[in-house]
Amino acid sequence: MQFIDSNLDPWQAAGSDDAPDAPVQPEANLLLDLDQWRSLRADWPAGLPVGLKLANNADIEDIAADLPRFAVIALHFPKWIDGRAYSQAHLLRARYRFAGEVRATGDVVVDMLPLLQRSGFDAVVLRGDQSIDAAKRALGFFPSYYQGDVRVTRPHFGRVAA
Amino acid sequence: MYQYTEFDRQFVHQRAAQYRDQLERNLAGTLGEDEFRPLRLQNGWYVQRHAPMLRIAVPYGEISSKQVRALARIAREYDRGYAHFTTRQNCQFNWIPLDRSADVMDLLADVDMHGIQTSGNCIRNITSDGHAGIAPDEAVDPRPYAELLRQWSTLHPEFAFLPRKFKIAITGAAEDRAAIAWHDIGLQLKKNAAGEIGFKVLVGGGMGRTPIVGTEVRDFLPWQQILVFIEAVVRVYNRYGRRDNMYKARIKILVKAEGQKFIDAVNAEFKNILEHDVDGTAHLLPQAEFDRVAKGFALPAGVTEHVAATTQHFDAPIAFARWLERNVHAHQLAGYRAVTLSLKRAGQAPGDATADQLDAAAAIADRFSHGELRVTHDQNLLLPWVHESDLQALWKAARDASFATPNIGLLTDMIACPGGDFCALANARSIPIAEEITQRFAEIDELYDIGDIDLHISGCINSCGHHHSGHIGILGVDKDGKEWYQVSLGGSDGSTISGNSVAGKVIGPSFAADEVADVIEALIDTYRDQRDPRELFIDTVRRVGLEPFKASANNVRRSTALVQAG
Repeated sequence: MQFIDSNLDPWQAAGSDDAPDAPVQPEANLLLDLDQWRSLRADWPAGLPVGLKLANNADIEDIAADLPRFAVIALHFPKWIDGRAYSQAHLLRARYRFAGEVRATGDVVVDMLPLLQRSGFDAVVLRGDQSIDAAKRALGFFPSYYQGDVRVTRPHFGRVAA
Repeated sequence: MYQYTEFDRQFVHQRAAQYRDQLERNLAGTLGEDEFRPLRLQNGWYVQRHAPMLRIAVPYGEISSKQVRALARIAREYDRGYAHFTTRQNCQFNWIPLDRSADVMDLLADVDMHGIQTSGNCIRNITSDGHAGIAPDEAVDPRPYAELLRQWSTLHPEFAFLPRKFKIAITGAAEDRAAIAWHDIGLQLKKNAAGEIGFKVLVGGGMGRTPIVGTEVRDFLPWQQILVFIEAVVRVYNRYGRRDNMYKARIKILVKAEGQKFIDAVNAEFKNILEHDVDGTAHLLPQAEFDRVAKGFALPAGVTEHVAATTQHFDAPIAFARWLERNVHAHQLAGYRAVTLSLKRAGQAPGDATADQLDAAAAIADRFSHGELRVTHDQNLLLPWVHESDLQALWKAARDASFATPNIGLLTDMIACPGGDFCALANARSIPIAEEITQRFAEIDELYDIGDIDLHISGCINSCGHHHSGHIGILGVDKDGKEWYQVSLGGSDGSTISGNSVAGKVIGPSFAADEVADVIEALIDTYRDQRDPRELFIDTVRRVGLEPFKASANNVRRSTALVQAG
């Protein structure tokens, strides 16, 4: 699990706060929202790294064809107890074999870490007041689980039997 | 009953250690209340009126005498000396200080128990038929499937923060003793013409503000596919269930709003998992895994079918005959009976047991039932392995420990939530109402004359006391800071005598607390006046309709009569 320091993060949201509606020009390591991506996808140069920010009510099915073009997909937790993005991450990894980075943004707290890791996230931007040490400890309580997940796809019974 | 493996045992200890870390961060001030709350809830810790409430899982109701003794110890050393059993076959404590909560979780883990997912917006403890594995009307023993579902749903990473709570009930018998149609998912095990085992799957049942009975989405799902199918249901719910209004967030609202579109989405998701997901077939259950789990439900050592010597109890008192009639039940195995230890008696809240009573129940289970008990949906304890020839000795032991009230299925065997005496959600108290009715109908001959009836009491619309499914339902409501009670008639939990699952109908404006027992008496009197021979209360309600009952209930209004007149 990668803990992202926003100050050192090469990925930056497109558009500026001063002019949110100004047209976005393609450049490396931009994180686009879905509307921005849709307006640029035809002209986005092949090989120029691009990331996508998705709201948690977006259907992964709708962007399935574009997935190979993204280096990063940022899934958002408006509140940490809103669990929709876990299903988005599962679909990205298990169904569409998305191999880029899947990062969690928004209200991300340390006790979510085991869930995030198991459902396909490999990077997190923790909420500002959260402790990386506590987050790392949260990942250590369970060596294995009953059901399979994105990381260990077979359930406990499938692994024991194998 | 199921025996924990080393993996299971380590898992509950790891969970206890994780909880201790969270509690310590909370007490140290580094984990705020808003973040701690959902975490403690998923371990069974609510904060209630007086102290935290702990809800302990009793998976599908099976519990050992050793575990019951651990509950007695917790009641004695950490609580105020008693425990409460719930309609979801769980066990609750009300007085444990939060700073001792991690110690209690360690104690529980030592006897293979926990509070995992007994609260919170996740897949809750799986419930089942209290007679599972012993009922003569059973087609398939649901316990191995319930255990497989327990394991699959435990700490599922994708489904820990659903729009709302999610309850699964499973039965394999003809008689529905688990109220499956009232659950988010209700499962009925059955055999097809070829003798293969599968599930009828209902989705979208639930009580609360909007009582809805589950919709059948599969008539026969092969058992091997059950984990994958439920994954599909819960994923569709997690993605599309409403989160803008907690009263519209249960899956029942999604199923009702979308209808066939919901079923189509589930079937498409199910197909996608199996055909497209990485290792998507890994959760199809192999026979070997079923067999491994099913071994845990083999008959206890020494239990063998036999023809019991006919025991006539000519000199036995009538109380024993009544107990045989009401509290002793038929069994799959010749020579055995299932026996209910009634937790419904005057002076104690329905479903409550003191530490001493818990110890007594454990001793009785050791002596008469191979150390095994069940917690039933109607808040009693049940002994699953009683030798027919032991019945009279058991009756004496049960009577001495206050468990022998011969009232199972009768008016005083009511379901009631803890209500406003304990629960912070409640609008009104349940326990004083239950107590007054219990005292009013203390005469056993009268109870027998009234016959089988389901009286269900909830202290608020969350419906923990299942008032919607009672032949008589009582719901506590709050108006102007005072306690009022809405009374409904004709509900059904889906049992044979109650008919198809349906919510009862409210019979008029709420009653005052001091009118409720009179109302119940008036309703019962109306039934006795109007009934045909051999007709149960629910039959009479269905035949004659609500009007005569309404009229008699209105006749006993006092303070609310003035309100009505005005």
